[in-house]
Amino acid sequence: MKKELLVWALAAVPLVGVAELALHVKQTTADVASDSDWRSARASVSADARTGDLVLFAPFWADPIGREFFGDELAGLAREARPDETRFARAFEVAVHGAHRAELDGWNKLSEKRVGKLAISLYANPAPVQVLTDVLALVTPARMSVSQVQNNAEVPCVWQRGPGQPGGLGVPQGPAVPGERFVCSSGTYVGVAVLHGLDHHPHSCVFASPPGNGGSLRIKVSGVAFGQSLHGHSGVQWLYERTPSLERIEVAFSAFGRPLGQNVHRVGSGWTGFEFPTPELAGKTGELTADVTGSGPRAYCFEFDTRSPAP
Amino acid sequence: MTSDRETNTQPPTSIKEDDAQKQDEAASNSEAPKTARKAPLKSGETARTHADLLIGGGLAAVYVGWLLATARSLGFSRDEGFYFTAAYEYKRWFALLFASPAKALDRANIDGIWSNNHEHPALMKSLFALSHTLFYEKWKVFADESTAFRFPGMLMMGLAIFVTYTFAAKAYSRRAGIVAAIALGLMPRVFYHAHLACFDVPIMAMWVTCIYVYWRAEREGGLSWALAAGLVYGLTLETKHNAWMLPAVFLPHALAVHGQAMSRAASRSSRIPIPTSLMAMATIGPGVFLLLWPWLWNDTLPRFQEYVNFHVHHEYYNIEFLGQTYFGPPSPRAYLPVMIAATVPTATLVLVLVGAADRGRALVRSGFSALSVAGGVFARPFAWVSSWPKSDRVQTDLLLFLAIGVALGPFLLPRTPIFGGTKHWITAYPLLAIVAGRGFDVVSTAVETLTAKYVKLDAVTLVALRIALVVLTFGGALATTVHSHPFGLSAYVPFAGGTAGGADLGLNRQFWGFTTQSLGPWLSEYAKPGDTLYFMDTAWSSWVRLIDEKRIPPWLRGVGSPADAELSIVHHEQHMNEVDYNIWTEYHSSTPAYVLTHDGVPIISLYRRTRLAQ
Repeated sequence: MKKELLVWALAAVPLVGVAELALHVKQTTADVASDSDWRSARASVSADARTGDLVLFAPFWADPIGREFFGDELAGLAREARPDETRFARAFEVAVHGAHRAELDGWNKLSEKRVGKLAISLYANPAPVQVLTDVLALVTPARMSVSQVQNNAEVPCVWQRGPGQPGGLGVPQGPAVPGERFVCSSGTYVGVAVLHGLDHHPHSCVFASPPGNGGSLRIKVSGVAFGQSLHGHSGVQWLYERTPSLERIEVAFSAFGRPLGQNVHRVGSGWTGFEFPTPELAGKTGELTADVTGSGPRAYCFEFDTRSPAP
Repeated sequence: MTSDRETNTQPPTSIKEDDAQKQDEAASNSEAPKTARKAPLKSGETARTHADLLIGGGLAAVYVGWLLATARSLGFSRDEGFYFTAAYEYKRWFALLFASPAKALDRANIDGIWSNNHEHPALMKSLFALSHTLFYEKWKVFADESTAFRFPGMLMMGLAIFVTYTFAAKAYSRRAGIVAAIALGLMPRVFYHAHLACFDVPIMAMWVTCIYVYWRAEREGGLSWALAAGLVYGLTLETKHNAWMLPAVFLPHALAVHGQAMSRAASRSSRIPIPTSLMAMATIGPGVFLLLWPWLWNDTLPRFQEYVNFHVHHEYYNIEFLGQTYFGPPSPRAYLPVMIAATVPTATLVLVLVGAADRGRALVRSGFSALSVAGGVFARPFAWVSSWPKSDRVQTDLLLFLAIGVALGPFLLPRTPIFGGTKHWITAYPLLAIVAGRGFDVVSTAVETLTAKYVKLDAVTLVALRIALVVLTFGGALATTVHSHPFGLSAYVPFAGGTAGGADLGLNRQFWGFTTQSLGPWLSEYAKPGDTLYFMDTAWSSWVRLIDEKRIPPWLRGVGSPADAELSIVHHEQHMNEVDYNIWTEYHSSTPAYVLTHDGVPIISLYRRTRLAQ
């Protein structure tokens, strides 16, 4: 009986090849979303989307196709290279193969529909916020000034508008140096670029590597509308962050002559968030100062906004 | 020669009592006594040998034809670009050698030319150069220079197919041989690498050839096969550094086969008789290695040391595995088994398991047999197996398992870099295919036994049944392999979810930047004359060849940075996300103009610079 079973089991081996063929046909035809599926999905989301809605593509590897079809209007830099999802009131998730983005866990699903091979789900943020000031929009000489502080002396960094340095043919190449940036005497700079985070996701942020040797960068932002909190993130380019070390970079925030909070970023901790309550400043507008210090020039990047719960 | 072959015309009516036992008998029968070996070949045996040559050669020729037919649609990998450049250089030296031998042998000329890409031996690059001279320049066989460069690599794949067939046919059965060749040829990764002017498929071919020739030397005895083993080992050393691991196959095997004789001889005469083939490999091998690599002709020892150091201390490139990019030790131990399971067709792997179980059982039995006849303390406990058949004198199964183990083993070690994906253990694949061939023997016998219960199997029906079995077993592998082209490194087997499954699992999608050519149709339609294109991971020399052979629009101008480019591309690999994001920063947009996909999975994103209002 045992031998008989073995013979039957051996005889069934060619069926593995048959199953392989059947799966292959399915995976290369029925499972592949077509261009028209993507175009239809875009039309559907575009019809329902409100200003400030987030559009996500699942799984993450499908993101380039989503960006290609949805374009800057629906899936531009601000959404794709977002600091996190908390600032968005609603999110559309466009998914292939039934995938789901973990970022939306805990959000309330409002609707779901199928467009060809794609599934479109609409989610609501359970704790929506109102962003009052986003530093990424203020990195211009009109709203920001940067100086390098060394031995209590402040040396202004100069605003430059020129060609960027987005890397060459070799990898790894580090972050792009943006064309528009404040350039400091030590060679460090302050400007907005997209960070390749430890999680391999993109994050727009202000690159502001401290000059080292005990020096710091002082960034002053004018016209900041304060809310209930100061919310932000910090990180170091993946290339450096992937090797954890004892290095730390600190950013200390102050406004109206008093400290608001200090964030310490340890190399290796990835793109991490921070939040400092500022209820006493809510409703005020004024200058905010960020002092960045650290042990050496690293591809350090941070961002912050001021916010209050959505009305 | 083997009883398996006899079943070609004699359908089995039931499963043999012990198929492996029968195989052992077949193997030991094939080890004819020396007196018989010296007798002239019988006409049947000659005809069988000729038939094997025809079948093996036919399979190889068909495969090389397939490679040639698909070569134009496959772009150039980074390494190919470097080897094209080296081959151009070596061509200069060969031309000098024929025109003015004394000048060619001048140190300045040797060092000047052969220092190019001296981290790898010269054999394949020399063949690329000679092929270019003969098949492109002189006889104009190929329209593309690259095809002439690639042709020796394709022929090496033909050699691998031929040897795999022959080895399995001689060791097990012709049926096993045919299936082994098919199994090897229908591995998507092997099909991809077989196109290239690189060394991975050549070392795969030479690895199995070297083992085969050594095996023949052991089987046949005599000087000619032993000398051949020495020569082939030298050529293998000259192909790629994997060859330095081969002694770890041959020495234990020789000890297993000749250990007792060595021990007896040593106790009688204080001299240890070493098999002639090993002596030849130890002497002729390094000689051939040195002779064929002019760079080693001067400052031999320091340069050899440099060569060793390069590979021993090779840098760790980035490679993604299960969603994590590895860039240094420790390498994940699961890498090898997971990647084999995800890239080798599943039916082939199941056959490998069946064949390995069958031959492993035989191997264990032969080990016990050896112990039981060895006498002494082992005689009594293993006396119960003394009735088993005499084992294969040359320990074919042990040789195969050693050859597989030595090829795969290093990749289970934490310090071994894994950046090459499956290509670094590709040397194991012909041997695995042979085991799969043997597995198919077992499966086929089972099916025939069951079928015979219900249908009378005549010779024609039996052949038809076997063909049907091959088609059913390898239909998926064939479809997967055909479909994988020209994205062979992105392809994963259906049971792993295909290309999308590989992306879901976080497995590497590609490396070497060879997929740039697949943008050709889009670029032809949408790129404007004079457009500059940042070609990212494609090597300059590969880019030049793409342009030269009009595989992409020749009006494009390649540049080395998105800063200078109207069009920029990123080859999707996890660690290259930084390139993607840097292009976003530079172009102030995250929207690609085009995404090249395979089965809905992004392979390359192409961006066009949008001019911002100043």
